Amino acid sequence: MEWFIDKWQVIDSLSPFLMKGLWLTFKVSMVSIILGSILGSVLGIVKTLKWSIPRALVGGYVHLFRGTPYLVQIYIIYFVLPSLDVTWLKFDSYTAAIVSLSLYTASYVTAIVESAIRAVPRGQEEAARSCGMSKAQALYHIILPQAFKLTVPPMASIYVIVIKSTAVLSVIGISELTRQGETAILRMPGDTMFIYLLIAILYFVYCYPMLKFAGWAESKVKANGGNAVL
Amino acid sequence: MPITETQEKDPLENSDAPMVRIENVSRRFSIDGGKTSVMALKNVSNQIGRGEVVVIIGPSGSGKSTLLRTLNGLEGIDEGNIVIDGVDICSKTTCMNTLRTEVGMVFQHFNLFENKTCLENIVLPQTVVLKRQRQEAEEVARKLLERVGIPDRENNYPRQLSGGQQQRVAIARALAMKPKMMLFDEATSALDPETVSGVLDLMKQLAREGMTMAVVTHEMGFAREVADRVIFMDQGEVVEEGEPDAFFDSPRSDRAQRFLEQII
Repeated sequence: MEWFIDKWQVIDSLSPFLMKGLWLTFKVSMVSIILGSILGSVLGIVKTLKWSIPRALVGGYVHLFRGTPYLVQIYIIYFVLPSLDVTWLKFDSYTAAIVSLSLYTASYVTAIVESAIRAVPRGQEEAARSCGMSKAQALYHIILPQAFKLTVPPMASIYVIVIKSTAVLSVIGISELTRQGETAILRMPGDTMFIYLLIAILYFVYCYPMLKFAGWAESKVKANGGNAVL
Repeated sequence: MPITETQEKDPLENSDAPMVRIENVSRRFSIDGGKTSVMALKNVSNQIGRGEVVVIIGPSGSGKSTLLRTLNGLEGIDEGNIVIDGVDICSKTTCMNTLRTEVGMVFQHFNLFENKTCLENIVLPQTVVLKRQRQEAEEVARKLLERVGIPDRENNYPRQLSGGQQQRVAIARALAMKPKMMLFDEATSALDPETVSGVLDLMKQLAREGMTMAVVTHEMGFAREVADRVIFMDQGEVVEEGEPDAFFDSPRSDRAQRFLEQII
């Protein structure tokens, strides 16, 4: 009983502090997810077009960001880029966090959107073009609506990865959930294990609905037979 | 009741000129990642007259579908020239999107828009491409659905229809653009046997109404009954052509003889 009272006091005194961290985690991840998804969708579409130079550039970007750890990316964006002495590359920590996380998100979204567009049967575009639609009209009315459905399940799992990646932002001094927890541990070193447990639970509470949603969306897409009828 | 409405004749249009003129057309496909290539079409020349129904037959890989697809620019050509109703489709100034509204295409796998209902499949190209008012487009679509024999499925999605029904919708979608000619690319090859005849009947009706048609098919009965002319292709070349009865009863070339022996 005494143990519970003791731990309750820890929770009670830390909760405003941790909630502040969770709120920041929420804000940073949501902004990055939104910006990253918009950027990634545009780049994903570019990747399926016939312009070879933009396609190669986007391909390079995707490989670069998917092939390196996020921790290294944030170090480069926050610590290395400012040393280049270019004014607009000198980010404060919050901007660096948003920029790096958005780019990281977008690299995955690009790949997802590209493969979803390619998964729409070729005949759909041929039929649209045969009716006289332009490439853009075919994309907008026929291909993207079908591709969008296919992106939902993989997108949700990427979002969960992005949310968890915000923990890395503690290294550049963003007082998100993990950082707040570490500060709390400095104050209460006796409860290290318990505080990490609290942090884990809070991340889980944020991520779990997203995972549930991914599972639900996947079953929904499957029930509709995807769209490959051939 | 006719499926198509008769088009108003453009007085400047020279009605003696053929609908399609194919001049020395070649098409090369690269395979093995570009290391080698095959000639899908070798120096093909032909004409299709107004109101003529041409059936193209031949073994698989003979280039018949490729030839059909070049006629609405789905397939580019490497050499030669194609003129459709006086318009050179290889010219850089030709608007392919406009041309494609005049050349309807029906595919083997129907290719209905999976994210749209039957009605929407027919309405969308009219509103997007022809800029028709929605109400007018819906009227056209309903009339066409009735004429192709499935008036009661307008709110169904393609996957809820049988193959034969989907192909009827696809034909209605093409006709809604009021094309000058229609291309059929093995339109009955993917259908269950019992739905084939319905689609073929529809095509026969179109032919009777004077639609210019180019039809790639394996239905020899249809070819014999409906075609004004049969073109036999093999290995990217037009090997033989002629009136259907003459062609089927006494083919002149060895290759056509062998082909007909194999399929009958």
